[in-house]
Amino acid sequence: MYVYYQSGDLPVFVFRMSMEDYDYLFKIVLIGNAGVGKTCLVRRFTQGLFPPGQGATIGVDFMIKTVEIKGEKVKLQIWDTAGQERFRSITQSYYRSANALILTYDITCEDSFRCLPEWLREIEQYANNQVVTILVGNKIDLAEKREVLRQRAEDFAEAQSMLYLETSAKESDNVEKLFLDLACELIREAKQNKLDNNDTAPMPGEGKTINYLSCCSLN
Amino acid sequence: MADSCGAVAATRGDCGSVSSVSSVSSVSMDTICALTELEDLEKVYQQLCEQEKDVETELDRLLGQEGSIHTKMLALQRMGPNLQLIGGDASQLSGMITFTCSLAENVSRKVRQLDLAKTRLYNVIQRADDILDLKFCTDGVQTALHNEDYEQAAAHIHRYLSLDQSVIELSRQGEESSAVDASLVLLQEAEQKLKVIVAEKLDEAVAAVDLAQVERFFKIFPLLGLHQQGLARFGQYLSTQNECDKQAQRIVDKFIQQRGYHNKFQVVQSSMMKSVPAERIEPRELDPVLAEVTLMNARAELYLRFLRRRMMADFEVGDAQSVTQDHQQNMEKLLKHCLLSTRMQELIGYYVPMEEYYMRESVNKAVAMDTYEKGQLTSSMVDDCFYIVKKCISRALSSSSIDCLCAMINHANSVLESDFREVLYNKLRQGFPATTLQDIQRGVSSAVSLMQSSLQQGKFNTLGIESTENAKAAFLVTLNNVEVCSDNISTLKRNLENDCSKLFSQGGNTGDQAKIQSCLSDLVNTSTKFKDLLQEGLTELNTTAVKPQVKPWISSFLVVSHNIEEEEFNDYEANDPWVQQLVVNLEQLMAEFKVALSPVIYDTLTSLMTSLVAIEMEKTVLKCSFSRLGGLQFDKELRSLVAYLTSVTTWTIRDKFARLTQMATVLNLERVSEILDYWGPNSGPLTWRLTPAEVRQVLALRVDFRSEDIKRLRL
Ligand SMILES: Nc1nc2c(ncn2[C@@H]2O[C@H](COP(=O)(O)OP(=O)(O)OP(=O)(O)O)[C@@H](O)[C@H]2O)c(=O)[nH]1
Ligand SMILES: [Mg+2]
Repeated sequence: MYVYYQSGDLPVFVFRMSMEDYDYLFKIVLIGNAGVGKTCLVRRFTQGLFPPGQGATIGVDFMIKTVEIKGEKVKLQIWDTAGQERFRSITQSYYRSANALILTYDITCEDSFRCLPEWLREIEQYANNQVVTILVGNKIDLAEKREVLRQRAEDFAEAQSMLYLETSAKESDNVEKLFLDLACELIREAKQNKLDNNDTAPMPGEGKTINYLSCCSLN
Repeated sequence: MADSCGAVAATRGDCGSVSSVSSVSSVSMDTICALTELEDLEKVYQQLCEQEKDVETELDRLLGQEGSIHTKMLALQRMGPNLQLIGGDASQLSGMITFTCSLAENVSRKVRQLDLAKTRLYNVIQRADDILDLKFCTDGVQTALHNEDYEQAAAHIHRYLSLDQSVIELSRQGEESSAVDASLVLLQEAEQKLKVIVAEKLDEAVAAVDLAQVERFFKIFPLLGLHQQGLARFGQYLSTQNECDKQAQRIVDKFIQQRGYHNKFQVVQSSMMKSVPAERIEPRELDPVLAEVTLMNARAELYLRFLRRRMMADFEVGDAQSVTQDHQQNMEKLLKHCLLSTRMQELIGYYVPMEEYYMRESVNKAVAMDTYEKGQLTSSMVDDCFYIVKKCISRALSSSSIDCLCAMINHANSVLESDFREVLYNKLRQGFPATTLQDIQRGVSSAVSLMQSSLQQGKFNTLGIESTENAKAAFLVTLNNVEVCSDNISTLKRNLENDCSKLFSQGGNTGDQAKIQSCLSDLVNTSTKFKDLLQEGLTELNTTAVKPQVKPWISSFLVVSHNIEEEEFNDYEANDPWVQQLVVNLEQLMAEFKVALSPVIYDTLTSLMTSLVAIEMEKTVLKCSFSRLGGLQFDKELRSLVAYLTSVTTWTIRDKFARLTQMATVLNLERVSEILDYWGPNSGPLTWRLTPAEVRQVLALRVDFRSEDIKRLRL
């Protein structure tokens, strides 16, 4: 399969027979209203910066970052989607193959919180049913402008059985934690899945199973 | 320091000589007169004599200088009259200078007066000119405006504006003030009027994209002292993007309206949401509109790419050194967020679900209309389905929008992996029907369920051999379909990679390339899933169709005694008791599959069958007992079997039959202890697949080997 390397600014594709340069590969898709800070979160995590004069995302942006967790190399494919309505049909096409979704809202914007149920309906409709969803309240550096209380968001997340985390892309609060926690959770589920698959031989086509076997080197 | 000391010493010396002279006078007569002692007198006399000598020397020296002093005096005397002459000349010069000075002062005063007079005269002339001009302008502007000769009018205004404002002010204070005032008012009115007119005309020209008119009125602006405004307006004209946005807006609106784009989209959306939609759209009806949208987007992208190139070129010309990232970012922002882009993004936003609908519906149709022609390996739906998928992705590719292409690759992947694979999976799950006789023997659930469903549908009578044959064919065709799908997906991916690299060779950024690559790599996973499904299907076929037949054929080995003597051995030689029949049976069994399955699948099935034969043989052999000749007989049988199987498959058989071959070796030994010739250090190239316990177990099958001997063996 093709493996994507980041060397300087130029991505290089190298044909490889084995996948030895990583143990796991996960697709993470960021969704949420326009302007809540999805792009800033991704850039903070992948490039370590808070981009000034960040324009609205057009369509979908794609980044890769490989992290090491407990000695295992985990390659994260991060899809940063546009929040604006007119890109919805394009961004929806990425839900199905996502291993994790980062549903983001802006704690200083009540509106972005109120739209969450709508986003959950989208997830329900388009994502596979094993997807890990985490709710993220961004921009906590603007504490004085907070419009959504933490407790309220926590309650909401719990009711929807989602993880919850508050971040600041600007101050780099919890951004690293967000992606690393997610990677840990995905590894845990992948290992669980592998166990389950070994217990009962899977029937082809049953459910919409994500083929972890195809993305992890198991030996 | 030493020099200065010397100088001081010299001075002292001179002084000394002078003081010695004066000291003579200090020896006054009184002192001499008062002297009483001769000794003293002599002393003084001596002193005086010395002094006299000194004075004489001094006098000689002074006299020696007389000559040179005299010469100097002569020279001075000669200069005397000259000096007198100079003095006279000097006073004369002074007089002349004083005169000239007063004369010059006189002249310059006059010149100054003259100059003043001249300046005043000029001013008067200028003012007269200006006043005349003013009048001329006033009249000229009126006429020019009346004649719509804006250039002439502007020229007049320009003349007026270039008049000295202070002169005009002065003129107003003069006798003709009222007349001048009236002209000024008229002129100012005309100026305002002209500015308004020209601005309007330029705007009109810009709106009408009339380059000649734009240039005409643009040139008038500087004449009116409106350089900046003129440039701004012309810039506006040049940045056609505003205009283009307006046009795009109009085109998109018109398109949406005429093609009922939104309406179609809504119908499509509701048909995808609900299982029983009120209104459906034939996918075919969407073809033209989908083609148009992608074409529009491609044109828009082409235009934006053109703009980008031009701007980059301008940046470079303008400031080769500082084509900053800022510039580029601003440009990207401008291009990505301009109205044209956003409207196109909106259209593509509707296009994607419609294309998805088109793809899903068409694939569903292809599945529903699936036909299979005898003699063909695959049925129509595979080709149809891939034709559709390819068509949809190509259309998305033709839009030149990377996001649109990626979205359609994602949807294609979803349609293939979920929808289409599901169809094939369900067909395979119906199973491969066994023949009725075997159903009764085996009570296979799939056949029972097949009968049950037929009973429920009241079709029991029609369930004859023919429908069983159909079900068999359907299963085998599906297996071929699955294999072709897996291959087609790989091919699709490769072709798309080529198409995209062509697209990118014309420019495109690496981020976009990575995006497409990632979406394409999902196709590889899907292809693998079809391969897995094929494997599942083959296992099913092996379990239902091969295993139940092969098992009894193998176990019939038990009926053929291998505890035999010479006579029976020869008998078997003449009349093969088992292996030939087995080969014939296998040949017949597989013949059906050989014609119906693709070579690759058939080969895999054969491999499964051989494994099955090996495993069953092993189990069966362990239940038999052998004489020495029986062992030999088994060895012969095994060799024929392996030879046959090797001839029907490309897989290597030897490995699968390695254990059986070793069992035959053990069963062929003369004595128990002979095993040691092949075991351990004597094994040579042979790698034993049998454990020591298994070797003992096989040895024990020989009726003529004593169990004590076997037990005693050290393996
Ligand atoms: N104070 C503060 N501002 C933030 C933070 N994260 C993002 N922003 C600002 O919020 C604005 C929007 O950020 P983006 O990252 O572009 O938002 P987005 O969710 O990607 O928006 P779309 O691409 O349109 O969906 C920008 O002006 C950012 O500077 C944060 O943690 N703190
Ligand atoms: Mg963004």
